[in-house]
Amino acid sequence: MDTVKKKRNPIAIIFLAILGIFGGLQLFSKPLEGKPVTGKIEAPREVISILENSCFSCHSNQQNLSWYDKIAPVSWAVNKDIKRAREVLNFSEWGKSPAENQGKMYAILNMMQSGKMPLHEYTLLHPSAKITPKDIEIIKKYTLSLSSVNPTAQHKNEPQPSSTTPGAAPTKFPVSPNGVQYTPDFKNWKVISMSTLFDHSIRVIYGNDIAVKAVETENFHPWPDGSIVVKSVWMQQEMPDGEIRPGKFVNAQFMVKDSRQYKDTEGWGFAKFSGNDLHPTGKTASFAKESCIACHRQLAEKTGYLFDVPMKVNTQRLIQNLQKK
Amino acid sequence: MKNTILILLVSLISLTACSKENSDTNNGLSRVIFDPGNLKFISNSLNPKKETMSALYGNEKALESLSKETQKPEAGTVMKLVTWKYHENPQYIGGTITGELLSIETVQADHLGNISYEIKNDPAKSTSPDKEGRIQYFMSYLPVIRP
Repeated sequence: MDTVKKKRNPIAIIFLAILGIFGGLQLFSKPLEGKPVTGKIEAPREVISILENSCFSCHSNQQNLSWYDKIAPVSWAVNKDIKRAREVLNFSEWGKSPAENQGKMYAILNMMQSGKMPLHEYTLLHPSAKITPKDIEIIKKYTLSLSSVNPTAQHKNEPQPSSTTPGAAPTKFPVSPNGVQYTPDFKNWKVISMSTLFDHSIRVIYGNDIAVKAVETENFHPWPDGSIVVKSVWMQQEMPDGEIRPGKFVNAQFMVKDSRQYKDTEGWGFAKFSGNDLHPTGKTASFAKESCIACHRQLAEKTGYLFDVPMKVNTQRLIQNLQKK
Repeated sequence: MKNTILILLVSLISLTACSKENSDTNNGLSRVIFDPGNLKFISNSLNPKKETMSALYGNEKALESLSKETQKPEAGTVMKLVTWKYHENPQYIGGTITGELLSIETVQADHLGNISYEIKNDPAKSTSPDKEGRIQYFMSYLPVIRP
């Protein structure tokens, strides 16, 4: 009798202990905070159905979670992911601005196309949320169809404010909430690349000496501290012959590398200074954590989280020949 | 023990040697940034038909001439127009980015106001460009607005 008891007890105790721990854990498992739906995305049925099936569980206020998602410790991870996901993109708080929504759709398309979303960890447990190449095609077709809306592009002959206002330079330059300060120095830096975006903007990307050297020596994994890259953005202005020139100034976007100060955003301090008064974007120091870094982290990892690093398509010999006097 | 250390050391060296070699060879291709010397960026353009983007650089005199929208570059002007092929951004659908460097054109006006034009292409082309037309084209640029 005694021996049987001795043999049984440890197993029973371990079982009960595990059950007890699990039960106990549930006390610390707070259900996800319910939030109302304040804005709904309007899109063709087939687009909505893909988004609902693959994205809504995390990126909306209408969670459709499995029972095992609600049990601690799984629920902790799930709730954390959902909280983070909603900060970046929330289909239940969809805005009214067509330009903003177009930007979101491009981000969604790029995340899907690159295989970054839905998260691999998520589709492992929820295989039905996986997206197919056909799904991506549908999202792509819809996203590209949004490009035709072009309320902001200007045409030649519109009055342009004068470009140089000597003497009127402000003595104090604006500072982003995360500490990145605007500097006009970039106007003297080298141009590392030029680009355009679907929003009918044209962009010139400048790098300081540290950044330029990092590009030229292919040493940007990671980018050295002190690198600064500035992207100057203008609306496209069409000339009579169809050529595009920079028109109205939109903003100057800064990325400042300081691996100690900007730990949450892969070592980059992001800033955006918009309009003629260069007003900084962001309300709190952590604004870039909820916006900029989400795309830069997922889609531009190969180039150290920058999108406009010059392409590796030229030879040194070519540029030396062309630059020779 | 010594052998193990030796093996580890050798394998470590060979591994790093390999990775180094891989990153250096890429058909001799590299990421190129144009060095404008003492000239500064003035403006840029995009030609959707040719799929090119150009950057215009110039000295102080060039900036003056273009700001005043003069017909001809003033004496002492140096301008360079650097043209690149552009591509879809490989990291972002919906964006384009400059790729291959195609040509560098130079317009200069000496102290007497004599204007010269020169083009360097890749591959070098022997076509005679319309010099007057190109100079006029240079003069059509307005400095970009940067507050």
